[in-house]
Amino acid sequence: MSENLRSVTDLDRLIHEPARLLISTILSGVVSADFIFLQRETGLTKGNLSAHLSKLEEAGYVKIEKTFKGKLPLTVCKLTASGHKALAKYRQQLQDFMKKTS
Amino acid sequence: MDHDFKAVQQRVRRYWFKDGIGEIVVGGLFLLLALYFAGHRFLPADTNAPLMLDGSLALLLIFGIYFTRRLINVFKTHITYPRTGFVEYYPEAKDTLQTRVFIFFLVAGFVLLLVVFGRWVGTFVWLPGFIGFLSSVILIVIRTRAIELNRFYYLAAASIILGLICSFSGLPAHYSLSLFYALFGLVLIILGVIVLAKYLRDNPLPAEGEDE
Repeated sequence: MSENLRSVTDLDRLIHEPARLLISTILSGVVSADFIFLQRETGLTKGNLSAHLSKLEEAGYVKIEKTFKGKLPLTVCKLTASGHKALAKYRQQLQDFMKKTS
Repeated sequence: MDHDFKAVQQRVRRYWFKDGIGEIVVGGLFLLLALYFAGHRFLPADTNAPLMLDGSLALLLIFGIYFTRRLINVFKTHITYPRTGFVEYYPEAKDTLQTRVFIFFLVAGFVLLLVVFGRWVGTFVWLPGFIGFLSSVILIVIRTRAIELNRFYYLAAASIILGLICSFSGLPAHYSLSLFYALFGLVLIILGVIVLAKYLRDNPLPAEGEDE
């Protein structure tokens, strides 16, 4: 395998998973978004979204807060600084890989 | 690939305009402006009423700068967030007191400049056309930032057409400006209500306890 192709194995697998990549990308453009919004935008089931968010939270990429907006309960998710950094690195790596192989 | 990342982020940004509440609130503000300009024609000039009306314009400007977005958020909290979720966006600029004071004086200075220019040319009949053009520029900027929302193109076209109609209506300046704000405010509210009705039809309230 050439060095060019081998570089793809360095990708952050936690971010690389399509659902988590979509969640991270959505959260990267906003201060925060709640569970309902993420569920609608990603099209994931509640259980699936919860599982992916938990993985991102465990990695320190996402911060999850249970809060209220008025009287409504909200589960608010934010991409942390290390989450932003990991996503930016992932995008850069992927772009480099595409340039090298195209 | 980078295009796809940006497309997702654009879609999230566009979400703020999904419910039409912004148009309804801004349309209401325009109707208040219409009342202000119409009021000048009806109030007796030999009383304090015109002065009080001028004071109300300052209040309206402050309201517009300080509270429009907050009012929109109040409606969103009750209508949009329970249906399709809550999103907090990054502020457009550093939202400090200095920024707000700067914006207030910028708007006040701009209004003063228009008044001075109007007195210099001796007429204000061009004002609705100018305000219509200015509104269309703002709407096209919004359209560019929140792609695929073509209704902003229609609103931009409506603001230019209504501005020109009011400018050439032959009415006195206060009336034509009042007419412009009233008509454009109504257009905004009608479009906002249509968008909101479609949004409510497409997004019924979820059952209790849907939030994780």
